[in-house]
Amino acid sequence: MDHLSTALNHAQSMGAEYADIRIQKTTRETIFLMDLSLKNTSRNVEHGYGIRVMKNGAWGFAHSNIFSNDEVKKTVEKAVKVAELSAKIKKGKGLTLAHERGYIDSYSTKIQIDPFKVPLSEKVDLMLEVNKTLLNYSKIKRAFFMLDMLNDDKYFASTLGSVIHSNTYYINPMISATAVNDKDSQTRSFDEGGYGAGWEHVLKMNLVQKAVQIAEEAIIKLEADEPGEIRRRDLILDPNHLGLTMHESVGHPTELDRVLKWEADYAGVSFATPEKLKKYRYGSEIVNFVGDNTLSFGLATAGYDDDGVPGQKWYIIKDGILNEYGTTRDTAPFIGENMSRGCNRATYYYDFPINRIPNLYLEPGKKLLSPQELIADTEDGIYIEGRGSFSIDQHRVNFQFGGDMFWEIKNGKKVRPLKDVLYKSCNPEFWNSCDAICDARYWKDFGVTNCGKGQPPQTARMTHGAATARFKKIRVGGSK
Amino acid sequence: MTDKQFQKAAKFIENNCSADDFSLFMYRSDETATRYAQNMITQNMTGVKYGVRLNVAYGTQTGSARINSLDECELKKMVETAQNIAKLNKPDPEFVPSTSKAKIPKTDNLSENTVKFSMKEMVDVIKKTVDNAEKKKAFVSGIVTKRVTDSYLKNKNGFEGFDSSSEFENSMTMADNKTREAKVERSVKDVNDYSIKKEIDQLNSRFDALTEPKKIEAGQYNVILRPQAVINFFSFLLYFFDRKNADYGVSAFHNSIGKNMFGKNFSLISSLDEKDLTASAFSGDGLAARNIDWIKNGVVKELFTNRSYAHKIKAEPNFIPNVIIRGGNATEEEMMKKVKNGLIINNFWYIRTVSMRKNEVTGLTRDGIYYFENGKIKHSVNNLRFNEVLHDAAKNILLLGKEDNIAAGTKVPTMLIKDFTFADTTSF
Ligand SMILES: [Zn+2]
Repeated sequence: MDHLSTALNHAQSMGAEYADIRIQKTTRETIFLMDLSLKNTSRNVEHGYGIRVMKNGAWGFAHSNIFSNDEVKKTVEKAVKVAELSAKIKKGKGLTLAHERGYIDSYSTKIQIDPFKVPLSEKVDLMLEVNKTLLNYSKIKRAFFMLDMLNDDKYFASTLGSVIHSNTYYINPMISATAVNDKDSQTRSFDEGGYGAGWEHVLKMNLVQKAVQIAEEAIIKLEADEPGEIRRRDLILDPNHLGLTMHESVGHPTELDRVLKWEADYAGVSFATPEKLKKYRYGSEIVNFVGDNTLSFGLATAGYDDDGVPGQKWYIIKDGILNEYGTTRDTAPFIGENMSRGCNRATYYYDFPINRIPNLYLEPGKKLLSPQELIADTEDGIYIEGRGSFSIDQHRVNFQFGGDMFWEIKNGKKVRPLKDVLYKSCNPEFWNSCDAICDARYWKDFGVTNCGKGQPPQTARMTHGAATARFKKIRVGGSK
Repeated sequence: MTDKQFQKAAKFIENNCSADDFSLFMYRSDETATRYAQNMITQNMTGVKYGVRLNVAYGTQTGSARINSLDECELKKMVETAQNIAKLNKPDPEFVPSTSKAKIPKTDNLSENTVKFSMKEMVDVIKKTVDNAEKKKAFVSGIVTKRVTDSYLKNKNGFEGFDSSSEFENSMTMADNKTREAKVERSVKDVNDYSIKKEIDQLNSRFDALTEPKKIEAGQYNVILRPQAVINFFSFLLYFFDRKNADYGVSAFHNSIGKNMFGKNFSLISSLDEKDLTASAFSGDGLAARNIDWIKNGVVKELFTNRSYAHKIKAEPNFIPNVIIRGGNATEEEMMKKVKNGLIINNFWYIRTVSMRKNEVTGLTRDGIYYFENGKIKHSVNNLRFNEVLHDAAKNILLLGKEDNIAAGTKVPTMLIKDFTFADTTSF
């Protein structure tokens, strides 16, 4: 605690207009089981602090892993020197920060069973049982199970008077099975992404039963037909698939730093430019996207972001119209916003916080509708489950997505499995073609733990969610 | 000085470790990264990072822990954590003991010029790029990075290696408020080998060649892939290269060794004999680097084989110390004359696997794409999505340019490839 005030006092005495310090200890346990070989069972810790100062309208940031008042002061001095250098190349008076106040608060993910205290044997026994179940099928040649658990213990203090403690967790089991015959190999995965909870979440999953399903579906895919020539058909996409679709085609384009072209050299920019706010038809009238950093199990939920801005809930797309962006204190002023939406996050202590996708989900449909009813209502379509190949351009317009399991739909019935299906679409065609969304009973979350962005690159996490939805007349078929 | 620190920490860990086997890896990385966008600096950071990773084994039960400090109290906790995991773990049927003493090749990966290069000098580099952009009424975004890394590996069975490397990197994208967008990026070991003037000239020539893009349809085109596009496309081979996946029929490399799968114009190798290229002297699991022909004149010679699988199939394990795709002597002018028309592509983006078994990937063009005809660039075209099979593209190589050191440990040529498959278009 001492270090917090040392840093802030020293930064102010050196003329900083604003400063914050983030002391962060990230503990990650990973168990990686490849076939029946425990390739890696590890516990990793990154512990240190990052000090961010604004001086002369420019940022400086320095980090260290040495906890002494002397080193804290030296790190402040480096950050100030860096800010002074940054200020040599700025526009006008440089960067300004959206209004915020100080908070004294704490936040913790609600966990019932601390995953780091569960005996290793319990985890490894479960994983071995899953992979043995997979490899019991003679056509399954490779089995893969990665169990990933993370805890972020963070103290944040700023010259606005904030002192915030957050202690967040996620857990993420990922399983895949690869079936092989002499002509082809096909992989099917169980991957719901990370979830903000403890070990109790894994206990509810019945992973051995899931293993049976993915092994059998990998083998089904091996023998399945390809979808043939690309032509327009209806797509029914399950929540596990839609998680990534919305991440790429709605989440990234509505990050304000991309809109401002701050990511032009790497992650890219956005077609959803500010003159389109409150006007642009991004999707059909039933399409509502919510940014929600208050979601209890959300991976982006930490009470506050790394600007010290509280978690909020707001419409990013409302009744199909582009409504608002996800913003940070340093980007919001560029579009005349006086408050940040609280989307500034860094990965490790040594990372500089950047504009990130919040927890972002598609609201369920308001009329009662089940996936079965949706299939029964579809004449010529493909039902896609899970994630596959995905690629999108740097303006976030054109994209091509695969999936993990595919079923052909003819005259209201799933008639046969398919493999190697790709669909090609773009913004705003795709979300405007959405004509039906199942109701809240079928809404399911999907947690992304590996969103890559920034230079130097960082990996962020956030939760998405949707109920199964239909998209009319999308170009879909086989690859090359 | 760092090697002494590492050796002291290693001694401490050895004295405190009761496991039958261990492998200890440590690094120290001093990095300054100054990021700019829209002609201003938006992020600027500096600091030293440490990493200490200990893998231990009791019999064939393994455990691992990693921390980011050399503090002895923390090191002791790390040893206990790794040991506790191993003691409670299940045996690993594919366990192989740590490597023993090996002759590590001498590499020259460190430049004092880069070590001495100051933060102020980094900002000066950015100043030049911003001044240039402003003259062109354009906006430049990118990052200048300087990194000096020391790494150390020590195994219970006798392997010990120390390596220092330096890297200076500048990546810059210049765009106007309409459709023009071009990029150059390069990393070097020795900052004195980096000429900001040369890079800006190249950026300007790429930017100036851009016109209002004309729409073209998806289809097959002859392409001139510039080095950044070449490495981003063909580096997917390195993901697909796994020997076990090949042997088990998961990947396209099933039964490929000794076969000409890529056509005579394609060679992908790692070499310690290239004076202008850095190379990792040893791998994180204790293998000394060696020269490897992965693919020679189209023939698959060796696939990535980790230690445990190499032990099982009695092959020599390997890793990828650096990447060279062999070039030739053709100039871009000669390439443009060789075919009637085609596209020049500066870069690819968001490349992802479509099918591992087919060796097929998808992605989009980025940072400038030009249509040429009768030996001359005519105009820019809208960006395109490709779906292409890696070995099909390699078989269709018609001409190779000079190798270009695009990164300290990577050199690749410009390539002329016929009938490259574009499956879709985008709106800009
Ligand atoms: Zn992402």
